[in-house]
Amino acid sequence: MVQLFRVAKIYPPNYPALKDIYLQIDKGEFVFVNGPSGAGKTTLLRLLFRAEDASEGQIVVNGRNITRLDGKGVAELRRELGLVFQEFKLLPTMTALENVALAAQVVGVSRQESKRKAFHLLRELGLKDKHDARPPTLSGGEQQRVAIARALVNEPMLVLADEPTGNLDAETAEETMRLFLKIHERGTTVLLATHDTGVLKRFGCRAVFLQRGELVGDSKQESGEARL
Amino acid sequence: MKLAWIPFVFLRVLKSLRDLLWTHVLTSGTMAMTLFIFGGFLLIQDNLHSLLKGWGSQIQIFAYLNNSLASPDLQKLIAAVRSYPEVESVRFVSREQAWESFKKSMGSQSSLLEGLQAEILPPSLEIVLKMPYRERAPAGDVAKRLRGLAGISQVEYPEEWVERLSVLVLGVQWAKWIFGGFLFAATLLIVGNTVKLAILARKDEIEIMQLVGAPQGLIQAPFVVEGMIQGIAGASLSLLVLWLLFLFLGTELPNFLGIFAVRDQIHFLDVEGVALILSLGGLLGASGSLFSLRRFLKV
Repeated sequence: MVQLFRVAKIYPPNYPALKDIYLQIDKGEFVFVNGPSGAGKTTLLRLLFRAEDASEGQIVVNGRNITRLDGKGVAELRRELGLVFQEFKLLPTMTALENVALAAQVVGVSRQESKRKAFHLLRELGLKDKHDARPPTLSGGEQQRVAIARALVNEPMLVLADEPTGNLDAETAEETMRLFLKIHERGTTVLLATHDTGVLKRFGCRAVFLQRGELVGDSKQESGEARL
Repeated sequence: MKLAWIPFVFLRVLKSLRDLLWTHVLTSGTMAMTLFIFGGFLLIQDNLHSLLKGWGSQIQIFAYLNNSLASPDLQKLIAAVRSYPEVESVRFVSREQAWESFKKSMGSQSSLLEGLQAEILPPSLEIVLKMPYRERAPAGDVAKRLRGLAGISQVEYPEEWVERLSVLVLGVQWAKWIFGGFLFAATLLIVGNTVKLAILARKDEIEIMQLVGAPQGLIQAPFVVEGMIQGIAGASLSLLVLWLLFLFLGTELPNFLGIFAVRDQIHFLDVEGVALILSLGGLLGASGSLFSLRRFLKV
């Protein structure tokens, strides 16, 4: 599903955010990207949805080399992905339903069908009574669930989540993580960046470790004791 | 463009027009000023052109004859002139007829001519050209040939006025594009800045649309449509002001216009002129938006 070959990202003037990354993620996997702040987790995810260009190396997503894409190619790539961020990125002037439906409408789904899909997803994520609420009136956990619903509305093959629990309390963070596991159980590949090592122990999925831009560990390739 | 996107774009345009109403009104007003000046030049040019055509249709050539021309030679000369393919009619005006006509044109001041005699005026031929030849170039060509004929001492036609008016029409035509060009460039920048404000106001929405894979065209379309609406609104306003001004000049300043005897000949822009102003407005708005989008919107 995702392959990175010798990928590096250097920010000007000469700051290496990622160095020589080799990584392969198979279809249907759930992978945590773990590491301290500044390790390169966000940069890695940004390269995968082409918010950044790789300075070196090649990146393949779903069989397509995305290293060099024009604007049209980037839009096509993003339609195959579901993106979730720490700061939710919801539009405060739109209702929860409209926020979710927007993602479907921009890929050409009719207004009515978009709203129907958004309504079902919000209900599935436990926001049945909140679809008319605007984000500022929702709790952090509820906002993140709206953002997750938006990421899922176009039925993506791959979900990229960047610190999705970073702004949530422990209990809500745990609920949100379980939501990602549910998404994964439906067959969606999930790549989730987090600095929380406790999560890795509790959920026992594959984890890759970044430190100062280098991939320093991969639980899939290491021995049983390294597997968390 | 998918059909599902049409209501999407339409709703975003309405929302932006509502949220940034005064910004849009100001931009439309600026475009109206530019298009008013351009339309004014177009109106002047159009009317001068009609005037020129009108004058052209009245072109007559006056060939003054030698006093010593004998009658048989005169008949031969008239026959020769009539044989020109450009000539519709030839009228001989004798000294006496010319004198009477001159006295008549002097009106109450004809007493000034007392003591003078008809001999001071030469006999002449009044030559009317066929319709297709009533323009500067063919009239000049006929005049040149007439000057070469024996028995003709001088040839005159309203060449100078026609030439002056032609130069004026050409000047207005050039001024329209030169002034218009500068104003269009300035207006493009103003429209660009309005679009920049609209982009900033919807920055988050644009970012989210980009993140969920909205095509570039769909992100840009509402801004371009907004620009076109602003431009067409500005053009309509400019046409309205121009029309009111035209009515005012036609009714309030009749004497001034009467001097030039053109009051009944002036006319407002025709359908093509109106369509040109409206299209330029739409084009100006749309291109201003695209220009700004390319600067401020990146994937």
